Amino acid sequence: MQISIIQALLVFVVAFIMGIDQFSFLESLYQPIVTCPIIGAILGNFELGVVVGGAYQLIQIGSMPIGGAQPPNAIMGGIMATVFAVSLNLEATADGVGAALGLAIPFAVFGQYAVTLTFTLMSGMMAKADKYAEEGNVKGIRNLNFLEMGFLGCLFGILAVAGLYGGSLLGETLQNFSYQFSWVMAGLDAAGGAMRFVGFAILMKVMMSNEMWGFLLAGFAMSLLCSANKATSGATLILCAFVGVAIAIYDFNTQTKIKQNAGSGFVGGEEDGI
Amino acid sequence: MAYNIPEKYQDLTPAPQLDKKTLNKMVWLSCFLQASFNYERMQACGWLWGILPGLQKIHTNKEDLKASMAHNLDFLNTHPFLVTFVMGIVLSLEQNKADTQTIRSVRISAAGPLGGIGDALFWLTLVPITAGLTANMAMQGQIIGAVLFLIIFNAVQFAVRFGLMYWSYGLGTKAVTMLTSNAKEFTRAASILGIFVVGGLIANYGSTSVRLIVGETQINIQSLLDGVLPKLIPLLITLGLYVLIKKGWTPVKCIVLILVVGILGCAFGIWSGNSQAMDADGNTLPGGYTPLVEWYEYPTPEE
Repeated sequence: MQISIIQALLVFVVAFIMGIDQFSFLESLYQPIVTCPIIGAILGNFELGVVVGGAYQLIQIGSMPIGGAQPPNAIMGGIMATVFAVSLNLEATADGVGAALGLAIPFAVFGQYAVTLTFTLMSGMMAKADKYAEEGNVKGIRNLNFLEMGFLGCLFGILAVAGLYGGSLLGETLQNFSYQFSWVMAGLDAAGGAMRFVGFAILMKVMMSNEMWGFLLAGFAMSLLCSANKATSGATLILCAFVGVAIAIYDFNTQTKIKQNAGSGFVGGEEDGI
Repeated sequence: MAYNIPEKYQDLTPAPQLDKKTLNKMVWLSCFLQASFNYERMQACGWLWGILPGLQKIHTNKEDLKASMAHNLDFLNTHPFLVTFVMGIVLSLEQNKADTQTIRSVRISAAGPLGGIGDALFWLTLVPITAGLTANMAMQGQIIGAVLFLIIFNAVQFAVRFGLMYWSYGLGTKAVTMLTSNAKEFTRAASILGIFVVGGLIANYGSTSVRLIVGETQINIQSLLDGVLPKLIPLLITLGLYVLIKKGWTPVKCIVLILVVGILGCAFGIWSGNSQAMDADGNTLPGGYTPLVEWYEYPTPEE
């Protein structure tokens, strides 16, 4: 398949936009059902793109990015599946495009690596965000957001164009690479999963006092119980909130009553429970 | 964390109601909630960007704006389509100049549970239904499938975003004036709820576990730990980090430590991690990855 510079540029732009859209903006453009026809049109086979999009979408439905967990990347997967389907000139039926979906998987995995890398690097940039906030620098905060979107978009654009020229040969190289260094990527995955604890620890520093420890453990226990039960696991956090709200309202009412009584001289002392 | 966020704003006179234009602007910006998503604070920086137009209107005092910006960078993770609900509540508190600690506690208490509801509503219900129906049209070569998908999905998305912003802002401003007359008690109650939810988040989002399988009898260390207390490792890491941060460690230092421990640990096959890598035949690797130093045998899954 002959690829012109214009086509490569257009693929870059589409991958750039979709790379951003997977987390921000409309959060729907990136779905394969939309992305694949666009890539198909760029490469000159719109109809094939539509069919690949439908087929990939059905696979994708089962793997949504939920609660911070990241499945293999649908955008890179969708783009490359279309590229392979067009270059191999596959038949535009649901069965015909199956081979293209398989060839695209290494790229989907690398798309995910790009996301992991970005999220890890941006964790380091949060110190910068703290500094901008401290200075009241509104533009700085905006620019940090632009920075990540631009970075992520470029990574996706580069990966897509590399895939466009490198084809299935590059796919094999990528697969070998990730096979050999699987421990590094697993390490990043494990570390990424643990970084949120830093955010929790900062929140605890704000709210914690000696008598709060019990509530922390109670919330922890409540969450464990709800998630262990199949029927309630989906609603774990909302159930935690229900119990937490009950305790908080009870405490609020008790404390305000104590304060009122203290005001009327019924209970002595300045102690108001804080 | 050199900057200590003050407990109270300097200017305690309630700010006037926000106008429609500002509220709408924040709804549009809320689409970029995850623009600077990262592992440490997740949506924090995108959240701040989105809510800034309101904060700038509310805090005419420069020092107050700084304090408000600083505490609005707390860890935040909620569903992107439901975030305007949290925005409305937080804005009503900011407008009434509630204590910063109250706002922080209320924010995480509202945001956390909404994340779970949103996933269930949108990713597990709306997307499968609309995408499932339209994908079949697409597979027959009809582009109308993609068009329909975009229209339905975005109509729902924006109805939810706008609706929740106005509803929760109105609700919040009504409730807050009542509560702030007992500000101290309210802060305390909000902290209890906040800390309760954080406890829940540790168990719910804490996925860190060990991969070790040792000995002749293939003892699974993680299931031993689960026998002691499920999610013991997430709890211990959080408490450890809390101690470090209280000692004055910066978040960046903590993150570097986690990164080093994470990658070194996986070199020796200690942590569970998913590399998503595949061997030449396209099979995934047993245990998620192959450690650099293989000093124990990971059982191959039974067919």
